[in-house]
Amino acid sequence: MNQLLLIPIIAFAKLLTLALRVSGRGSGTALPGYLVGRYFPFVLKALVSQIPVVVAITGTNGKTTSQTMLSAVLDQAPQAKVLRNKAGANLSQGILSELLKQSNAVGRLDFTHAVLEVEEATLPRIARLIKPNIIAVTNLYRDQLDAYGEIDRTEKLIRDGIAQCPTAAVVVNGDDPRTSRLTQGLDNATYFMSLAPEYARFLPYEGKLNSRIPGSQGLEATNIHINEDLTTDFSVQGQINHETVHLPQAKTVSPGFFHVYNALTAIAIANLLGIDGATAIAGLKTFKPAFGRGEILTRQQGDKQVNYRLLLVKNPASFSLSLELLRNIPALKLILAINDNTADGKDVSWLWDSELERLNQANIDWILCTGIRAKDMAVRLKYALDVPPGPIPAEESIRQIIDLSFKEAGSGDTVFVLPTYTAMLEFRKLMGKTLDVV
Amino acid sequence: MPYALTITHLYPDYLNLYGDTGNLIVLRRRCQWMGIDCTVKPLTMEEVAQSGQTDFYFMGGGQDMDQVAIVNDFHQLKHEAIQADTEAGVVFLGVCGGYQLMGNTFLMGNGEETQGLGIINVSTRAPSTDVKQRCIGNLVVEINSAVYAEMQTIYATPRKIPRTLVGFENHSGQTYLGNGVEPLAKTIAGFGNNATAEYEGARYKNVFGSYMHGSLLPKNPHFADYLIGLALRRKYADVNLTLPTLTDTEEFAAHEFVVQRYR
Ligand SMILES: [Zn+2]
Repeated sequence: MNQLLLIPIIAFAKLLTLALRVSGRGSGTALPGYLVGRYFPFVLKALVSQIPVVVAITGTNGKTTSQTMLSAVLDQAPQAKVLRNKAGANLSQGILSELLKQSNAVGRLDFTHAVLEVEEATLPRIARLIKPNIIAVTNLYRDQLDAYGEIDRTEKLIRDGIAQCPTAAVVVNGDDPRTSRLTQGLDNATYFMSLAPEYARFLPYEGKLNSRIPGSQGLEATNIHINEDLTTDFSVQGQINHETVHLPQAKTVSPGFFHVYNALTAIAIANLLGIDGATAIAGLKTFKPAFGRGEILTRQQGDKQVNYRLLLVKNPASFSLSLELLRNIPALKLILAINDNTADGKDVSWLWDSELERLNQANIDWILCTGIRAKDMAVRLKYALDVPPGPIPAEESIRQIIDLSFKEAGSGDTVFVLPTYTAMLEFRKLMGKTLDVV
Repeated sequence: MPYALTITHLYPDYLNLYGDTGNLIVLRRRCQWMGIDCTVKPLTMEEVAQSGQTDFYFMGGGQDMDQVAIVNDFHQLKHEAIQADTEAGVVFLGVCGGYQLMGNTFLMGNGEETQGLGIINVSTRAPSTDVKQRCIGNLVVEINSAVYAEMQTIYATPRKIPRTLVGFENHSGQTYLGNGVEPLAKTIAGFGNNATAEYEGARYKNVFGSYMHGSLLPKNPHFADYLIGLALRRKYADVNLTLPTLTDTEEFAAHEFVVQRYR
């Protein structure tokens, strides 16, 4: 297509973005992408096709973390210039908006790599346009129950997306029964990321844990050790591109088993792109967790300082795994912040699919419930705990719970906060953090 | 004499959507707190049901493929026993898919009607064009007067219990009640059985169907106790059997919050 055609469209989009920003109607993220995508559907393809390497990352949990980890790794390569969409802007209009924003006045994009987080149902709709060289699927869980209804449908949508890209290499979670079967019957080269079975069996997958087919390619994490500060040490071994990978000392600062998968995904993709393991590990060490994914916020008043460590929960799997992490914390101080806005899932039934019972092995100092559905959370806890710790405070106002927790905690203590998405945004705002990180 | 209760969880590995197991967590704990010896037995694919072995059936909802798969198994290996048991007054609670499946027809995700188990006289159909595609949202209902009156006889010491049930519905199937089946409740907020009828759920003998997730029993402890009470009354052939009162502060606080916010 004629590059000249792009120029007026790009100019329009840039003007619109500017107008939106000046008039204070948002940071101008989605609207230009929406309008251009709707009236000039060829623009997405014209823009992406200028970037030599395109990686699409999809799946229920860990899209953002995998994307951030991979960017951190690619940044180690001297020539690399990486384009990525913002966390959450993962529908086609969000991706297009980012491309429009990053292009120059004549629609040129000067990047070597695009690392795109793609929402699950969006993949089949844009796969043919963005032609990813690599597709990664982190895992497939029931998420935001009322958004799509059925996980089977999501699995099918992702498979349809992959089927449109027969030459793409596919990196999947090799333990998750749903993702590990995605390329069955397709010709795509597939790489399986897995944890050694003694760890994988603790993870709340739906259905039987997949067992690796002998001879298949991929990476496995062994010797996983979660430290008290929730950083995780592990070793990596396996085969990528028929070459042996062995990395005895990998580390991620993001807490938990999920993030080991994300790190494996980043290492594998880096490897496929010709970046060696040592560089990948060095890159992972520069990675900073995205907001809500293990980030620490501090509140100070006079001499007293309390740290709040945020671990986003968005579905039963991530909730159960976060609780698993907290089992080893001495004198655990915990805030559970549950909202039922659209982005959290309006149906709180998922609290009952989350394994709060794992707290029975934790060393609990105190637990506070907050958010719109604080009272639902308190009921769930009452039924989960074998020995209830007395009445469980349930206060809708997150502001009041922050005050209360600050009072209850000692100076230097860390309070763990498990919020749903909008509760997390509110919590950060109350702590003086704004949305724009990254 | 301490009471014992056997609960059969039907197809737990196939029908486990949207917190339905929360209902079992609640039944189990409340029995424990009331000193009732409670056993939960899974009964799944390829296992034969025997009548007279249980006091209480629970069946949740599942994804389409799973629901279709279990219908054949149910007809061949479970139908006879469960029909005999429920006719004899054994308690049965079906939620969403588990409710639809008990009827004459139920609905798959592609909108196709399929033959159900035919144990209660209800039918679930595809939404017509003038009806919303999916009934989804918080649901607040008023318990029908016969059930509410009976519910109040369950406790040894009379107590104040809400007239309401609260939950969250998520279904496209439209359920219509036939002869011999009473609605469980009248809709205050949300839809319930279908987008036009203003009633939610069904009761036939001690078979109860409901569209309420949420989960259903945690925020409706009075309904949980009622079902436990009915099951024990049948098992011990004692219509005057009563239950102790638990402190339900958290449960009723959560219940009341939903009534106030979403009605
Ligand atoms: Zn439902």
